[in-house]
Amino acid sequence: MSDDPILRIEHVTKRFRGLLAINDVSLVVPRGIIASLIGPNGAGKSTLFNLITGYAPVTAGAIFYGERPIAGLATHRIAALGIARAFQIARPFRDLSVADNLRIAGMFGKSGARDVDATARRALDLAGLAELAETPAGAMTVGQLRRLEIARAVATRPELLLADEPCAGLNPTETAELVGILREIRASGVTILLVEHDMAAVMEVSDLVFVLDAGSKIAEGTPAQVTSDPRVVAAYLGTPEPAPAASAGA
Amino acid sequence: MTRQRSERTWICLSLAALVAAALAPLVLAPFYVRVGQLVLYSAALGLAWAILGGFAGYWSFGQSAFIGIGAFVGGLAEAELATAPPALQFLVGLAAGSAACAVIAALLAYPVLRLRGIYFAIAMLGVAHVFAELNNNIDIFQGSLGLTFPNIGIAGLDPHVFYYELFLVAAAATLLAAWLIRRSRFGYGLLSIREDEDTARMLGVPTEHYKAAAFVVSAVIAGVLGLIYAHSLGYITTGSVYRDDTNLNAIVYSLLGGMGTLIGPIIGAAILVVLTHVVLGDFLDFHMFATGLLLVLLVLLAPSGLVGLARKLVGRKKVRR
Amino acid sequence: MNLILQTLADGLVLGGIYALAAVGFSLIFGVMQVINLSHGVIVVIGAYLALILSRLLAVDPLLTIPLVMAALFVFGYAYQRWLVQLAVERSSLLASMLLTFGVALMLRNILVWIFSPDFKTISPPYAFVHFHLGELTFDLVRVSALATSLVLLCLLAAALHWTRFGRIVRATAQQNLAARLCGVDARHVYALTFGVSAAFAGASGIAIGMVLPFAPPDEAFWTLNAFVVVTLGGVGSPAGALVGGLLLGIVNTLTAQYVGPAFPNATMFLILVLMLLVRPSGLLGNAFSPSR
Repeated sequence: MSDDPILRIEHVTKRFRGLLAINDVSLVVPRGIIASLIGPNGAGKSTLFNLITGYAPVTAGAIFYGERPIAGLATHRIAALGIARAFQIARPFRDLSVADNLRIAGMFGKSGARDVDATARRALDLAGLAELAETPAGAMTVGQLRRLEIARAVATRPELLLADEPCAGLNPTETAELVGILREIRASGVTILLVEHDMAAVMEVSDLVFVLDAGSKIAEGTPAQVTSDPRVVAAYLGTPEPAPAASAGA
Repeated sequence: MTRQRSERTWICLSLAALVAAALAPLVLAPFYVRVGQLVLYSAALGLAWAILGGFAGYWSFGQSAFIGIGAFVGGLAEAELATAPPALQFLVGLAAGSAACAVIAALLAYPVLRLRGIYFAIAMLGVAHVFAELNNNIDIFQGSLGLTFPNIGIAGLDPHVFYYELFLVAAAATLLAAWLIRRSRFGYGLLSIREDEDTARMLGVPTEHYKAAAFVVSAVIAGVLGLIYAHSLGYITTGSVYRDDTNLNAIVYSLLGGMGTLIGPIIGAAILVVLTHVVLGDFLDFHMFATGLLLVLLVLLAPSGLVGLARKLVGRKKVRR
Repeated sequence: MNLILQTLADGLVLGGIYALAAVGFSLIFGVMQVINLSHGVIVVIGAYLALILSRLLAVDPLLTIPLVMAALFVFGYAYQRWLVQLAVERSSLLASMLLTFGVALMLRNILVWIFSPDFKTISPPYAFVHFHLGELTFDLVRVSALATSLVLLCLLAAALHWTRFGRIVRATAQQNLAARLCGVDARHVYALTFGVSAAFAGASGIAIGMVLPFAPPDEAFWTLNAFVVVTLGGVGSPAGALVGGLLLGIVNTLTAQYVGPAFPNATMFLILVLMLLVRPSGLLGNAFSPSR
């Protein structure tokens, strides 16, 4: 792994009034991998995404994108640097066609030279939505919307993609498709930071896993290292949830 | 491919309509020339409103603020040059009026555009009323006394025809501006703000600046139209330009024609002006009732406007085939 | 010193009436986020109904309150159920606001046809009686209008707090979906809210008619006034309406007295804009749910 990480989070704390949502978390994401952020509900995964994308200000600590500190920048400036986010609940521009959704992402997103139509077409093909290009986004199924959400994030030409539970609520076939798409995105040189509850998917696709619990990082490592960490087992996998993880390890 | 072809068709149609409209006064009776002035003025106002309201989804209820500022600031600037030739006065008024609108809109934009939906709409109504009251009660604006405007017409040309053509130029320029915006990166950014502002920001759209820019453009066009309108009237008081029915109509044109489209406000303005001035011209007592009824029916029966209704009908036909 | 006290006292009288005139608007806004632009016309209709009834029955205008409220309750219920609700479901909240504006225009036009555009007044027999309290002068009419407003506001507050209807209204406002899951027919609740709102608007019209001359075009003023009151005080509660109404009444009389009789409107709208920018949820905040 390179010494030039794409994302460094250093001692970040986030407090909502009295509630400590993120407690002194530090983590480093190397370039070109799929890293996952896991942890029980309320562990602070989505909050961390909000902090990285400038959606909410950090209370303390620093976030570096490459060498550049980004905590405190406006959301659209962070997007212009090359960080994209796909929401858990897809938020398409419903009245606009699939192609226009992607075109807008291509026009904005990471700053620099661009070929909007080519970018949109590539994202369309990647997500397997080519036949639906002229359909209004509001008329698509949940699975299709999830792929559009990922495709639109990709169309911003990011270097770092934050994907928030892309597999939630999908059936096994759709999940498999999405995992394939994520791998393709990584192959194109984009680093992915994933929040996901589907343990089978996480273990299959991740190069590196961070475990959050109650706002603190309690472990990190390869999927194998993490699943055997007693603290992780106690905090997270020890609950009645671990069935999928066990089957993934088998 | 089809997109380009349909765009070319639209451009040709628009140019043909422009030529036809320019020549129309040759055959129209004077009364209809005046109705035509009003149609063009209203269509341009509707289009200016739509740059912010239709594209970005921020429905202003206070467009009349900028109509009034454009007219009064422009008029006061012209009065300073009372000895200059009228055409020069008009140009100076135009510069002063639009500059005032741009500055005031830019100052208002960032605070007011933080409000969303109904709160923005009502705040703008409040802004329009504040300006109207100040204009009426602070003596230097001469709002209650009234302001006269020189006739800037061309010798030998009927002033009604002259102002008709001037409104036509203004409306065509507004349409061109709206069209250029609609197909630009800026325009797509505005659409994404209308659809989902938070997501737009996440995709890198500088939402605050875009909204402010659309607000300023919309305000400046309204101001220019206000000044031309004031000249066409010759004499205005606060009440002739700061009008609540203008605030409302600017929205109704888009609503009637089709929200977010370019043709929508034009169709809407034409229908509404002709309806109230020609069809109901002799039933003044009935105006308000008819407008109200139209609004109610519109919201209930054609929530996406006539363009939306037409698209739906065409779509159904295609499916049947 | 006396002048300022008298100005403040006049402001309070005006403010109490403003509060009653705004409370229904506030309730609808709080419960279903609909801006009812026909609110002011219902206020004015209340005044006209009282004018007719008090002449017809030869009674004090205040005694017509139950009749007027009942009639407008029925009107408000039907109006929401069969018109506003359709607009909300078919298009958007903003479009529903335009629908209520259309209705306001139609009703205003009808009022002009029936009653002419001229100003009318409802004068009870004690119209010119006044009394002194210390060095301050009070008209009996104004005081009884204020008292009526306060009593009705208290009754509404009590009803919202203790009755089944009140609890349902507050539940619906807090969480539409949750209320529906608990077996509340949200549409029925919405219609009831509109009915109650119209009834109180009508009652306020009677108080207004006793104090000020009125004409159909006043409706726009009362709608805007309600908006300012709600923005000042906070959405969805009688307490918010009262705070907003009293403040606005005092600001109005103070501006008219010390700045100039032409400026209360400018001040009112300036306050509206500033409040929206600084604290859009009003001084008391939203009683029910986040307002944006």
